[in-house]
Amino acid sequence: MFSFVRRRMYTSALPLIIVLLGVFLLARLTGDPTSLYLPESATEAQREAFAQKNGFDQPMLTQLGDYFTGVLHLDFGTSLRTGESASEMAFRAFPATLQLAFTTMLLAIVGAIVIGCWAAYRPNSLADRFSSLLSMTAASIPDFWFAITGVWLFAVLLGVLPTSGTDGPLAWILPIATLMIRPLGVLTQVVRGAMVSALSAPYVRLARSKGAGDLRVVTHHALRNAAAPALTVAGDLAVGLINGAVVVEAIFGWPGIGKLMIDAILQRDFAVLQAAVLLTAVSIFVLNIAIDACYALLDARVREPARV
Amino acid sequence: MSSRAVLAAGVAVLTVATSGCTVANSGRGGYDPNTLRIVLSQEPPTLEPCESSLTSTGIVVRSNITEPLVERDPNSGDLQPLLSTGWRQTSPTEWTFDIRTGVTFSNGAPFTAADAAFAIDRAVNSDLQCNVDGYVFGDEKLKLAAVDDTTLTVETEKPDPILPLRISFVEIVPRSTSTTEKVREPIGTGPYAVENWDFGQKLTLARNPRYWGTAPAFARAEYQWRSEGSVRAAMITNDETDIATSLGPEDGAGDLGVPFQNNETTALRMQATEAPLNDMRVRQAINYAINRTGIVKALFRGLGDPASQLIPSGVVGYNDQLALWPHDADKAKALVAEAKADGVPVDTQIRLIGRTAQFPKIAETIEVIQSELAEIGLTVKIEMMDTASQLQYQLRPFPANTGPYLLMIMHGNQAGDAAFTMDQYMLSDGPQAAYGTKEFDEKIRAAEALTGQARQDAFAKLFAEEPQEIMQMAYLAHMKGILGKSPRVDYTPNSATGDEMRLSEMTAAGSDRTDAQ
Repeated sequence: MFSFVRRRMYTSALPLIIVLLGVFLLARLTGDPTSLYLPESATEAQREAFAQKNGFDQPMLTQLGDYFTGVLHLDFGTSLRTGESASEMAFRAFPATLQLAFTTMLLAIVGAIVIGCWAAYRPNSLADRFSSLLSMTAASIPDFWFAITGVWLFAVLLGVLPTSGTDGPLAWILPIATLMIRPLGVLTQVVRGAMVSALSAPYVRLARSKGAGDLRVVTHHALRNAAAPALTVAGDLAVGLINGAVVVEAIFGWPGIGKLMIDAILQRDFAVLQAAVLLTAVSIFVLNIAIDACYALLDARVREPARV
Repeated sequence: MSSRAVLAAGVAVLTVATSGCTVANSGRGGYDPNTLRIVLSQEPPTLEPCESSLTSTGIVVRSNITEPLVERDPNSGDLQPLLSTGWRQTSPTEWTFDIRTGVTFSNGAPFTAADAAFAIDRAVNSDLQCNVDGYVFGDEKLKLAAVDDTTLTVETEKPDPILPLRISFVEIVPRSTSTTEKVREPIGTGPYAVENWDFGQKLTLARNPRYWGTAPAFARAEYQWRSEGSVRAAMITNDETDIATSLGPEDGAGDLGVPFQNNETTALRMQATEAPLNDMRVRQAINYAINRTGIVKALFRGLGDPASQLIPSGVVGYNDQLALWPHDADKAKALVAEAKADGVPVDTQIRLIGRTAQFPKIAETIEVIQSELAEIGLTVKIEMMDTASQLQYQLRPFPANTGPYLLMIMHGNQAGDAAFTMDQYMLSDGPQAAYGTKEFDEKIRAAEALTGQARQDAFAKLFAEEPQEIMQMAYLAHMKGILGKSPRVDYTPNSATGDEMRLSEMTAAGSDRTDAQ
């Protein structure tokens, strides 16, 4: 298992370097931050002093070299906007996103397994129709609309939930519901499809003939074999959430990494943007390794390279 | 296997529960009647007092945490004493300020003329690149001297008849404040002091027990921020906040939304150095094509007044005799046709640049203007940009080889004097001016040297002459803002509310005061 993880780390290093390079170059293509930070009537000398202080007067290659040197020392520089350490800002925002994403995915996976298994076990039943409706809804409802409508309905009209913020458990419901609807819909369909195949497989018929009960057939035989495709999709969806639940964080005032990144882009706060992207990229890299490790646990063929 | 599954599920539940508590407990929760709850559209990037000209900083800092020597009454426009009890011009280039006695900073240090001299010098003469320096003082350097504890002299390079007005923009900080780094949480003499700043989530101010004036009604003020206007409005209707700033007419605050005249004026700035906009007839045609009254009525829902100049009433220099430029599409078409017949390339594509979310309904406004200009025979392409990109077109040096463009601008004259507008937008080399003439520059400089009624008349005349001589702008509207206000708070917003929201003017509804702490 250790050698498997080590192999995955080596193969992920290059994409990580490409991400670092990409965010550095793309950030600088979006324009000069000077106008945002200096007074409207700043003189040319003041602009030059600003550029010098922040290293923008250096050739691009020098800036790139300084950036990579900083990354190696975990020093991403200082935020132009707040004057704080960029890495501190990123590390402070990241747990909020991680908590939201983790909770959302956990609930979505549990919900998808229950609904998907039920729909597969009873085709054309109420659960099956509900799972289809859920998938269509997930695919067609923009999360922005869902969030605003949720605020209007549950906070303004019914008064049972807070509009936004992070105060208390109730404040988690609307952000999680908004984030969860898409993963739940997608995963439910994947689980349902995989379970339909698994439940018609010979080993399930054998288990039934040996007297296994319905619950045992579903949970111990079919579900384990149906888990691999669901795990793949769940991994992709989780990456999407970690990458920044931007809309949800912006609407609900959730102090996460997505909102930090958007603010950094709008304010041309390169140091914060680079720190936030790198932290996110590393997390996705770790998550992918974890998913691959789960695969390896589920399937021995993944653990060892093919032998001829 | 099943024991492993149970263990994994247990770990997962524990992690979620722990993580949930981490975020959930980060807020204070509940609501205290002695706490004023305010939701802003964005978090202040800093509370550095010399950055108070930035709206997102000034709305929290000015007159709440720190105070200036003199303050401008937003209703009358008159200067009022604050940390200075009186001021006079003691020579053409020198002003003397009498410093208030018995004032202490929130850290206990006494306030004297030396602090005032230090704070002004720090904001204006240092290398901190303070926003107030560029916005209010430009290249001007000041010589400051604390004659004694209660007397401050300020010497200017040239005679400056409105120096006290400029000084009203400088927030006073103690001599212990850094002169090499900007501070994030300042010390001041204001009615409140920073209690806690949970960055990204909440900023709490607490009553300054050493405040020299009357103690404010609320013991605490708690700021949060939500970027979405409809969420801010929902927080007001759901009683989650007492004050919500920057609401739009369709955000849903209902009766809790209080309209008020702000300082902002919207206009299209025409890049008159590029053909076909370098032809006066084309610029006049654009002005004739725009139906200001219709836009204000239909898009802004009456929350604004059609504009004939770049400053609203109440600002020194406003010309109340200046009529709106008439809406006349036929005349506009005729002018475009006439220019075309003379060889002006009116078919050249003109870029119409707007800043996303600059004001409510900006996207629709831009689309309406594009349609109106297309109707008179101009080819206009819409480009919506974020703030940083749009600023490249708004501030000198402008990008090269841009072709002709019309730029939607929104100008707020916080100072109450037309000189600040003229310097920025009307001088031929003004930081935000696209076009001008040396002759008009001289008229501006002459007006700026005047005082009193002569100053008012001179600026008013310039606003009447600009469309005839320069016509750099197609004015759109003097804007109105909407402030969400809970029934439990008494407060009347004024033209300065968007830039400087004085918490000490807010009281609990139904009683003059909330119980003191």
